[in-house]
Amino acid sequence: MTPDRKPGRRRDYMKYGFVGPALLLLIAMNIFPLLYSIVLSFTNADLVGGDSRWVGGLNYKFVFRFSQYAQALRTTALFVGLAVAIELVLGFALALALKPRFVGKTWILTLLLIPMMLPQAVMGLYWKLVLNGHYGIVNQVLAAIGVGQPQWLTDPDLKLLSILAVDVWMWTPFMMLIGLAALNAIPGHLYEAAAIDRARPWAVFRRITLPLCAPLLGLAVLLRATDALKQFDLVMAITGPNDPATQTLSALLYQVVFRDGKVGLGTAYSYIILVLVIALASAFLRYMDRLQRREASP
Amino acid sequence: MLKHLLSIAAVVVLMVEAAPAQEKKITIWWAQWDPAAALQELGNEFAAETGIGVEVHQIPWPSYQDQVFLNFGNKQTDFDIVIGDSQWIGRGATKGLYVELTDWLPGAVDMTTIHPKAARYLCEYPPGSGSFYAAPCETDAIGFVYRRDWFEDEAEQAAFQAKYGRPLAVPDTWEEFRDIAEFFQRPEHKRYGCSLLTGRGYDSIVMGFQPFLWAWGGSWGDPETFQVQGNLNNEGAVAGLTFYKELLAFTPEGGTNADYFFNLEAFSNGSTAMVLDYFPFYPGIVANMGDQVGFFKVPRHGDKRFISLGGQGFSISAKTPKAQQELAKQFIAWFSQTKIQQKWITYPGCFTANTDLLGSEAFAQASPYNPTFAASLDHLQDFWNVPVYNELLSAAVRYLGQALDDELTPKEALDQLAEAHEMVLMQGGLLE
Repeated sequence: MTPDRKPGRRRDYMKYGFVGPALLLLIAMNIFPLLYSIVLSFTNADLVGGDSRWVGGLNYKFVFRFSQYAQALRTTALFVGLAVAIELVLGFALALALKPRFVGKTWILTLLLIPMMLPQAVMGLYWKLVLNGHYGIVNQVLAAIGVGQPQWLTDPDLKLLSILAVDVWMWTPFMMLIGLAALNAIPGHLYEAAAIDRARPWAVFRRITLPLCAPLLGLAVLLRATDALKQFDLVMAITGPNDPATQTLSALLYQVVFRDGKVGLGTAYSYIILVLVIALASAFLRYMDRLQRREASP
Repeated sequence: MLKHLLSIAAVVVLMVEAAPAQEKKITIWWAQWDPAAALQELGNEFAAETGIGVEVHQIPWPSYQDQVFLNFGNKQTDFDIVIGDSQWIGRGATKGLYVELTDWLPGAVDMTTIHPKAARYLCEYPPGSGSFYAAPCETDAIGFVYRRDWFEDEAEQAAFQAKYGRPLAVPDTWEEFRDIAEFFQRPEHKRYGCSLLTGRGYDSIVMGFQPFLWAWGGSWGDPETFQVQGNLNNEGAVAGLTFYKELLAFTPEGGTNADYFFNLEAFSNGSTAMVLDYFPFYPGIVANMGDQVGFFKVPRHGDKRFISLGGQGFSISAKTPKAQQELAKQFIAWFSQTKIQQKWITYPGCFTANTDLLGSEAFAQASPYNPTFAASLDHLQDFWNVPVYNELLSAAVRYLGQALDDELTPKEALDQLAEAHEMVLMQGGLLE
């Protein structure tokens, strides 16, 4: 053994020593469960244990056979689409309104950020009381001013909208925050140049503000869409996991795995969703990448 | 130094010896409500008599089932006894979660004193097989609470007589019930006719619908062959669902999605004439409204009267050590004695399956709803209690809800539900 090779080997040991524990943890907590769940999706495994047997592709066939799985997918898509769109528009509008300096801006910003910082499950229970058709404060106010009293949480046409409204209340501040960060990052000289050119406010917004904010807003959309796709807490707290009008993917998964005890079936469904989500996220990221390259090109 | 160490060691040894021996204790899991609190009190008496402690762990109703079955996924459960819903028994029995009590129960509990409906639906799996997996704890049924003061009001009686040509009295048939509900429906005065069970959270829509299903000649399916088509969607079943839906015209706002708690609120706020709920929810109403209220059993259609069974039995976890299982058996045997049942029925919302007590004057006098409860037991019937009951329940909630929400006609809803139920039963290996 030559003396100059010894420190190199020691460095290798140190390298593996540092990376090893994290790698082992990653394998134990992520890779193994992922692979194991693939196996589970081909079995009739039950939540309460007992013998499980190989059922081939039956679970996957079952998912495509029953309409409730497709319905949950549609409900989630509608929820994500509406929630993210409304939050983006409202959030960015708020960011534009709050960009200039004015007295009390810090207070308003702090107040607006409160809903985002509260736990979703708790807020779900809180809004369940607020929107209650009998004794909820909303209907009491509506009754006092002589307006009809919609059944926010029981009318099939209003249930999803009620949950959507709560989600918008909670997460619009997030979009506002990202919007403000994007607006503050735009160099001031661009606006000065536009002013010299006597550009109209709409043209300034369309040609400068919006394009330069787009990458950050795109990221915010991606983050919110990913989060809204997992919507569970509000649905669970407000209408429960088995209401067809509000059953999102996560709520249906909870119902299948934790109430029906069908771990195999639930896992198969999760994988179908995973493939869909990866496909959508990849398409979105590619679009964002193209957008950024177009912005960067002279 | 050595001296010090020896002294410390001696003190530690003495402390260990002085510590009391591990106490014998059983843990019971039940939902959070008045009967669970009463069971804890009786458990304390049992502890005083036997030295075996009893802890009743109460879990809020909405998450009760989820927590129990999640715990059954462990190698050893955190409870020795679970007071499981009647519908769980198939899952508990066939998945090896409940200890079979067939040999033990008849020796420890006098089964001749147990109401046959309670034994059939709360204790046996399959029902009527003689294989026991539970002992009765809380026997339960749905029944109506009504505004007696409204019914006895002379002006109301005269108006009803003029409109319907008969006296205003507690309804015996669903048709009479409909007229009374229609009569009291005055939304402009914030007064409503009735509130039925139609909620979508757990099983309330199923418990509310099935008395109509059975009374009009339908059924969930053939219990022997598990054939659903032709039973759940026959003409009678469709007519029953149609009638049930028609009654919702006489409910308060939101009455198409009314669970047990909605109904309690609808009655307690003084707006509704007749409300359907489980009997153990009524002590609070009696305490607050006293003589203003009365009770009647679920009406009949023709000569058929069926009432949704509720209640739970004691089941011993198969995932608890043998010694704990023996302690659990001691407690169940103690609780089932007639003298303890006599105490049990004195607590608010606590009902017995003991036929000697059900027929007694003491039971009838104990609360205003007890005579109605006792008269309801002979008409009890339950939903499926097979291992796949929860999927059957979910499908029923889904399609019945769509019928009530006008998304499907009663016929379409029951046809689709029958198809979904047969698929679930096939998947569960019960239907060929």
